[in-house]
Parts: sequence; C-alpha cells; structure tokens
Amino acid sequence: MLKLKVQKRVADKKINLDGFLNTILFIAVFIGIWQLAYLSGIWPKVSLPPPIMVIESFYDLIQDNTLLISIGMTLYRLLIGFAASVVIGVGVGLAMVRFTGFGKTMSSFAIGLQSFPSVAWIPFAILFIGLNDAGILFVVIMSSVFSVMMSAYSGIRNIPTIYLKAAKNMGAKGFSLFRYLMIPAATPALIIGIKQAWSFAWHALVGAEILMAASIGIGHILLVGREFLLMDQIIASMITIFALGMIFDKVIFAKLEDKVREKWGLRQEQDIENR
Amino acid sequence: MLIVSNLDVPLQTNEKSILELENIFKEYSDRKNKTHTKLIVINNLNLTIKKSEFVTIVGPSGCGKSTILNLVAGLDQVFDGQINVDDKPISISPSTDRVVVFQEGALFPWLTVYGNIEFGLAIAKVPKDKRKEKVMKLIEMVQLSNFTNAYIHQLSGGMKQRVAIARALALNPKILLMDEPFAALDVQTRKMLYSHILRIHEETKKTILFVTHNIHEAVALGDRVIIMSPKLANIKKQIIVNIPRPRSIDHPLVESITRAILSESDESFVNGGVAEIEPDNVDINNNVIPTVR
Repeated sequence: MLKLKVQKRVADKKINLDGFLNTILFIAVFIGIWQLAYLSGIWPKVSLPPPIMVIESFYDLIQDNTLLISIGMTLYRLLIGFAASVVIGVGVGLAMVRFTGFGKTMSSFAIGLQSFPSVAWIPFAILFIGLNDAGILFVVIMSSVFSVMMSAYSGIRNIPTIYLKAAKNMGAKGFSLFRYLMIPAATPALIIGIKQAWSFAWHALVGAEILMAASIGIGHILLVGREFLLMDQIIASMITIFALGMIFDKVIFAKLEDKVREKWGLRQEQDIENR
Repeated sequence: MLIVSNLDVPLQTNEKSILELENIFKEYSDRKNKTHTKLIVINNLNLTIKKSEFVTIVGPSGCGKSTILNLVAGLDQVFDGQINVDDKPISISPSTDRVVVFQEGALFPWLTVYGNIEFGLAIAKVPKDKRKEKVMKLIEMVQLSNFTNAYIHQLSGGMKQRVAIARALALNPKILLMDEPFAALDVQTRKMLYSHILRIHEETKKTILFVTHNIHEAVALGDRVIIMSPKLANIKKQIIVNIPRPRSIDHPLVESITRAILSESDESFVNGGVAEIEPDNVDINNNVIPTVR
C-alpha cells in the first residue's frame, strides 16, 4: 500500500514535469506566432503591438502600483460578492429543503436564473442600486448565487437516508444535524456548485467593472486601455485576468475538489488501487 | 440433556428487565394500490429483555423483525402499544439509549475511523480530552488501532462493521440494537466478527438486541433466540441457548441447536431441502416466501 503510494507520487511528479515543459513550449510557440503576425505588418502597431511592448506595459503597470492595486480591488470585490453568494445560496438552499413547496418552485426559477447572462443584470443594477461598488456586487451576487443555491439544495436532498437515520439515532437534531451531517455530507456537491459560482462571479465581475465604470480594478484598466488606444495595456490586463482565473480554477478549486474526492474515496485510481 | 426448551411463559429470573414491549401492534398501509390495503406486520407482540442479555430475533423477510428494531430505536414512531426502556416509555428516553448498528453503509465517508466513533460524543458536546480517551479505548476494543486515521473507503467490510459497533458503543447505550449487521459479509469475515461481538459482549455486558435471518448466527450469538413468523405477525417460539459463556462459535451445540430448529420448523420456515445446506449458509430467505414488504 505504502509502496504503491510512493510509486504513484513519483509518477505524478514526472507527469507534472512533462506537463510543465509542454506548457512552456506552447507559450513559446504562441509568442513566436504573435511576433510573426506583428512583423507581417498586416495590423498597425496600435491594433497589434509586439509581445515586448506588452511586457513593457506590464512593467509600467507594476512600477506605478496600478496593477497590484487593481488586482487587490478586483479580488476584494470578488471575495465579498462570492462570500455573500455562498452564505445566501446555502441559506436559501437549506430553506428550499426545509419547505418543500418553496423548494420546488424556487428550484425551477433558480435553474433559469443560473443561465441568465450576467451582463444582462447590469442595466437593472445601475438603475436599481447605482453606478457604484454596491451595484457591481449586486451583479456578482445575482450571477453566482443560484449555482450555490441549487448545489446546496440538491446536495442536501441527495444525502442517503441511512446517514440521516444514523445521525438522528446518535442524537443529532436541529443545528447539530445541519453542522455535523448535512453540510459535510453535501460537500462534494457543494464544491462543484461553489466552483461554478466562482467562475460565474469572476465573469460577472470583469463585465461589471468595464460597463459600470469602476474607478479602480482590472476592468477599469481595460476600459482606460480602450479609451486611450493602449492595446498593449489591454492585452496585459487580459493576461492578468487569464492568469488569475487559472490560478483560482486550476490551483485552488482543483486541489480542494481533489482533496474531497480522495477523502470520500471517489478518486478512480484510488478505487482501482484498493481492489 | 435438554438443549432446546420452548418457552410459553416469560423467563423467570432475578435480573432486572431493561426493555419491555407490551401489546405492540403495527400495520403498514399500501396506498399505491387502488384498493387501500392494510398489512399487519406485528400483531399484539409482547417481549421482555433483561439487562446484559444477548437476544437474537430471527425470521424470514417480512416477519417484522426489522420493524421491531426500528420501533425500539425510535426510527419509526407510529405504532400501538407500549415500549419501555428502564421502566420509562421510549418517548421520553433519549434515542442515544438505544443505538443502532446498521447493516452497512451507515458510516460517514467524510470522517476517519476516529471521527466516526467520535460523532455521537461530539454531538453530545463531551469535552475533547474525554472524547479522545473514550474513542481510543473503543478503537483498541475493536482492534483497529492501526486504522485510527483511515477513511472509511480504505477499510474492508469487516473492519467497517467493527467501526460501526465502536461508534454505537461510544454513546454507552443501554441497549445495542443490531440490524443484520453482518448480512453483507462473507462467511469467513462473519465468523471473525462473531468472535468480536461475543468478546465485546463479554467485556461490556451490554444488552444486545440482534436481528438476523441467519439461524446459525442467531444460535451462535444469542442467550435467547426469538423466532418470528410472518403468518402470526408475532413471536412463534423462544429458545434458550444454554451454551456457556465465554462462548466459542465452533461449539458443537451451536450446530445441533440450529439443526433442531430447522427440523422442528414448519413449511413457512424450511422448505424442501434447506436443512441440508451447510449450517453456515442457512438462510431463511432462500425459501420462496411471498415477501410482504
């Protein structure tokens, strides 16, 4: 068992190294094509700057702290909006489980609203709340809360009856049943919903920052870039958005999901290993 | 030598009774059919269990044996009659007095062996250091010290049931209820678990109510075997198993009593040739009995 594990670790590392080299190669080829496209002269410099200009733009944005402050502000908004979504989503999801009639009606609405385009909330938010941070947060919450709500609802409803029976038999009721049984038992479903909610929140936030003229934030740098025809700055902020999304999706959430799956014995290699 | 005795009157002993079932009546109504049928599963059943007694209930599917356990556990609260634990009706005694070991799959996969056994204690808000002491003792009792921090999916079927037993014992229940806990296990593992449960009963002196459809198992473990009949919806016969404790599961009397029960039983119990099956595999459900539930 232990030996198998060690062997697996080594294999994992090798795969990771191969993957890393592949990524480097991919990026190098991409930058090469970009440089060639620039040299071909089809696009003017203002429409397609060379890679080096984008790197310079990055340098400038970092130098005057704009990038750091923007990332900080954007993440701050994201975190608040996302946290509110999780709290509201889980809360309403629980209420949906508790009150069956409400749950049935709400779930059909929530499914519809889950796929509602986030930018479509923006005009409503501007008039309803205003061109401010609260308006941006509103858009972020409306775009992500329904994913959390639905995953909490179905996650808790799908808890095997035997777990509930066992927990009640061991004295769990009310809040302790919720805290010690429902939340942990629904965690795999919740993590999937939360991961989806995070990416919905992220999409909505950048859109809202651009369209709702936030004074600080990554969306704001993009907007300024468009207004002053700074394509290098636009590309630099796009790369930042890409990198941030990547870090959260692939590093944080993937790790979290993996951990839960491993703990629950849902990982496939693990299952095969045990047989 | 009298090894099998039929009991028409309740046991006469000095020991205090801990569980009393009086005039239990339970029916299920089947609303799926157009004709609203009602099915009587338990009809006027009376049963008294003494402190530290190991009682096994055996019978074919649909004889109401699991229903009795569910009623005693408080998992099903709709019935007529009276159930007393320690002279108090179950409606006012906490459910943690009667903890169930389920057939399988009732352990929590998000917790380790330690976490599962700790579960009821955490809910009862027992202080952490006391919890630890208790859990470690129980892990030692079920001989899983090397698996303290393992997750449930990493354990074999037999180990899982040992964790389930430890988890139930953690709450120090007055009665340990076991609902066909070994039914899903292979013969080899089951034998090992018989020794475990007999040893644990010896060590803790817990009152155990054990439901099974395996006669051999019922005889090997119980002080008293209660045979249920689906026709009567009641107890058909009670048998005292006079095998001394500490008991060996290979005791020759186990097999002879099992055979005696099988040969005595009417057609609803044994149907063509079942008695010829290896005692280990004696399974009442092998018979074609119209399932009632």
